[in-house]
Amino acid sequence: MDILYSIYEVAWFVLIVAAGIAALEGYFYYHFKLYGKKWFMAVSAVFFPLAAVLLCRYLGLVEGGGLGRVWAWFFIAQVLINLFFKHIVKGRFSLPYMLLAPAFTGLALLLVYPFVFQIYLSFHDLKLTTIMAWKNTGRLPFAGIQQYINVFTTSPLSEITFWTLLLRTLLWTFTNVFFHVAGGFALALLLNNEIRFKGFYRTLLVIPWAMPQVVAVLAMRGEFHSQYGFINIMLGKLAAAFPALAALGFGPVQWLSDHPLATCTLINIWLGIPFMMVVILGGLQSISSSYYDAADIDGASYFQKLRYITLPLIRPVLMPAVTLGTVWTFNNINVIYLVTGQSGGTEQADILVSALYKAAFTYNRYSYSAAFAIVIFAMLFFISVFYYAPTFGRGNLGIRGSLRGKVISPSSPARG
Amino acid sequence: MDKKTIRHRRKKLVKYLLIHAVIIAVVVICVYPLLRIFSISIRPGDRVISADLSLIPSGAGIAAYLRLLQDTLFLRWLWNSLIITIATSFIGVSLASTAAYAFSRFKFPGKKTGLILLLSTQMIPAGMLILPLFLMIMKLGLMNTYLGMIIAYSVSSLPFSIWILKGYYDTIPRSLEEAALVDGTSQLGAFYRIILPLSTPALSIAFLFNFTTAWNEYLVARVVLFSSRQYTWTLGLFELQGQYITQWGMFAAGSMLVTVPVLIVFLYSSKWLISGLTLGSVKG
Amino acid sequence: MCLCAFVPLCLCFAACSKPKPPSDAASIVLWEQEDAQVAPYIDFVLDAFKKLPENAGVEITRTHYQTEDLRSQFQAASLAGVPPDLLLGPSDTAGLYAVSGFIRPVDGLIDVSRYNKAVIQAISLDGKVWGLPVSNGNHLMFFYNKKFVKSPPKDTDELFNFCAGEAPRQKLDFCLAFDLGEPFWLAPWLGAFGGWPIDNKTPALDTPAMRSAINFYLDLKYVKKYVPPECDYNCMDSLFKEGKTAFIINGDWALSGYQSHFKKNFGLALIPKLSKTGLYPTPMVSGKYFMVSSGVKPEKLELIKRLLRFYTSRENQIRQFKELQRLPALREASEAPEITGTEISRVSMEEISKGKPMSMATEMRAVWDSARNYLGLAMSKKLSVEDATRKMQQNADSKIAEMNR
Repeated sequence: MDILYSIYEVAWFVLIVAAGIAALEGYFYYHFKLYGKKWFMAVSAVFFPLAAVLLCRYLGLVEGGGLGRVWAWFFIAQVLINLFFKHIVKGRFSLPYMLLAPAFTGLALLLVYPFVFQIYLSFHDLKLTTIMAWKNTGRLPFAGIQQYINVFTTSPLSEITFWTLLLRTLLWTFTNVFFHVAGGFALALLLNNEIRFKGFYRTLLVIPWAMPQVVAVLAMRGEFHSQYGFINIMLGKLAAAFPALAALGFGPVQWLSDHPLATCTLINIWLGIPFMMVVILGGLQSISSSYYDAADIDGASYFQKLRYITLPLIRPVLMPAVTLGTVWTFNNINVIYLVTGQSGGTEQADILVSALYKAAFTYNRYSYSAAFAIVIFAMLFFISVFYYAPTFGRGNLGIRGSLRGKVISPSSPARG
Repeated sequence: MDKKTIRHRRKKLVKYLLIHAVIIAVVVICVYPLLRIFSISIRPGDRVISADLSLIPSGAGIAAYLRLLQDTLFLRWLWNSLIITIATSFIGVSLASTAAYAFSRFKFPGKKTGLILLLSTQMIPAGMLILPLFLMIMKLGLMNTYLGMIIAYSVSSLPFSIWILKGYYDTIPRSLEEAALVDGTSQLGAFYRIILPLSTPALSIAFLFNFTTAWNEYLVARVVLFSSRQYTWTLGLFELQGQYITQWGMFAAGSMLVTVPVLIVFLYSSKWLISGLTLGSVKG
Repeated sequence: MCLCAFVPLCLCFAACSKPKPPSDAASIVLWEQEDAQVAPYIDFVLDAFKKLPENAGVEITRTHYQTEDLRSQFQAASLAGVPPDLLLGPSDTAGLYAVSGFIRPVDGLIDVSRYNKAVIQAISLDGKVWGLPVSNGNHLMFFYNKKFVKSPPKDTDELFNFCAGEAPRQKLDFCLAFDLGEPFWLAPWLGAFGGWPIDNKTPALDTPAMRSAINFYLDLKYVKKYVPPECDYNCMDSLFKEGKTAFIINGDWALSGYQSHFKKNFGLALIPKLSKTGLYPTPMVSGKYFMVSSGVKPEKLELIKRLLRFYTSRENQIRQFKELQRLPALREASEAPEITGTEISRVSMEEISKGKPMSMATEMRAVWDSARNYLGLAMSKKLSVEDATRKMQQNADSKIAEMNR
């Protein structure tokens, strides 16, 4: 019975989501298609603000007294929206915008409020001693840009400065993403051959991704243990078998205490490769075999095919994964947190985000950490806008262009 | 001529064996930690580290599995996770597939900005969103319900899904749709009949991504859910973890059990990872 | 067709399943972060409380969180105006809640003089008592495996003698297991060298005692090699359980686990006296506490008072000891024959009397983090002991300054 109930519950939720999307699409459809009607302005100015206010009332978002004010806001907004659709949009681009509307509304719903909240905090001073006053009066002391100055001048860690930490974070990000892509690419190429047990291999290879991350990291951490970990046992055996290597200083390593960051990196690489592998494997599927057939006839070598067909053609699929992978790795705290100890651990493996969490959660410097988070956001934003954005723009053209020049386009009768 | 084919065949065989050898080596690296967890789950005495490397420890038994299934609500948690994850994946993928189509095939003002906005949603460190998220869920009255989680999950993996699908749609030649449009199909019809079937690899990647993310999610679940009947398995399993003492046997047993559904999904998705493209529909 | 039937059905369900408004005067929400095996005990006591005639209709909801989650959730819920009524947890986050005003002092609610002095001291800040102790301890002790050790060492000389002679003969991997990286385990030794990490609210880390304690550690790790290097909690626990070491220094929370694991080979003793100074190591002592949210309405306080008094009654305190091996915080109960009569509780009590209360000041956080970081650097020989302690102090000072700025 319980289970039946939860099915109903979820079906109901899916229905709510669907109804929400339908309402949204209806709203847009009305504005895109009926903007020319005489009654357009009047009907929408009456109907939509009223509906919105009723919805807010039903959800309990506003108390009885605030309803009038809320209605006024909705009314003004609706009039502006109407004018916008009637005189500027005039029904153009209706299809793409309606396709995008549900996704972007969802994102706005979930992320705009938290983001604005963070910005608000970062210009004020919220810490342990002001938190109660904030709760009771809703007011916080204004701090201007002091929190931002603190981000750059004081270091969240004791041994290294903010800038060194930034450098370390960049290095961590680059190393991880590089090996994720390289490893994923190599595996995907191997799996893309006509071999037996392909599906079976593929399933086993994604285990690091499929396993709950916490468990995966804790298991790997055990393998790095200085005495009982698999890695050091193997290193020890190797050093014993080849004394020449041992003479060069080769042997068991105290991974966790002497090289915590390297350990984190190795574990994170292990975790991330399967994901890239699957993405690249999907990308390889998007390449029509006719390209390779044509190249074979021209006598192209394996590496030429790789360079001039495979790489450029999986780029549209690979680039998003690499870009997002970079952002995720930059902000990834799980591995570091789990490897260096949940109680704070050593600072030798901290990157920007893990230092940020320490400031926020162990020292309760909420405003400082909000400013810190905004700085991280801004850095990532500028990196992607300046570095990646141009590559999207010319992404398609670039591939098509280079293909025409280098190999043969699929429509050309190379077979003849 | 004959010798040449033999040499060719031998070369092919060597290549074939080599590929298998490399893949098997990597498979071992990937699977080994899972085997270690398995050995923890059947090891008596809740020990997480062991000095011996043998995978079947002495005194092994399935006591931890039995305790997990009998003494806790594990099956219930698994079920909660499953329905949330499946609902999330379907909503997420369907929203993303249409949005990505807009980005791939249309020119409209704000297209580039939209793409960058999508990316930028991933740039705020997630832990910083806990407090505002709590306040929001609270106000909307979604505490302890699945709805809040389904919305949060399906939205939070949208950016990746949209981007990967857009990249994939971009590689599908426009000529295919144009032919259909000439035949009188609507734009949406062309999307539904031509683009979607051709994009199964990307759709399944997006589905897998949505599935694993929602399946393993902890932060949002922790904020939203507070009664143990409503827990997802992540919350339930972490209930076994104390400040010092963790019931590692049951924890490992639970980890083994929750990995199984994901592996099934991956195994099943294998056939969807093969595109119609390679089967030759572009050649025409 | 199917869908048509489905939609109205869903609508019906949605109409019926409107959420009930939470918490009225007769319901208590309790959040805890105990290890999983403690939950049945808590539920048992809460049920017994509900069965009392005067508590008819009372509802108690217990929710478990992990230590870190409990803190972040409690803060968020307090800000949102929907905090739980009671928290059950250790004292180290109490300072945080007290300073931010999320919990209220219990002095006025309950007569705290009836509880052991040290455990009350550990929850006192600025002259107020911020929680009601339910157990006494959380302190480190010295466990040994009787299979290897006939009689426990009285001081470190005896211990090292055993480690040098007997331990290799018994083919032990290591002699003594404990976490060399966690400052909580350093505190007893620091005390034995005559120091203590915090003095009122000021860190005292750059001291001769700290330098001696770290040198003692370095000697154990690199020269004597009696203690496993790079061994965290789970590692040391496994080593001891597998019989790879003869001794372990671990907290009282591990008592019942070791007892049931080793049965007749279970041995418990005081942490050996440090021969060099002739002083006993001083483990940090605190306990588990009930904390009362400042959001609790006055009309509910009476009920909460009753619950707290019932939970820490003499009878329940003794039951708690029997089931969880946790020492009572109520003085009357800790003098009961059930407690003083057994060897284990006698040793445990004596260890507590050697220990010092753990400070609940928020400054402690900076001390822990700074000590952990520089202890790690000194132990991996990336910094000299002198540099490490100097920087440890500087860093703790600057963290505190930043926190209060």
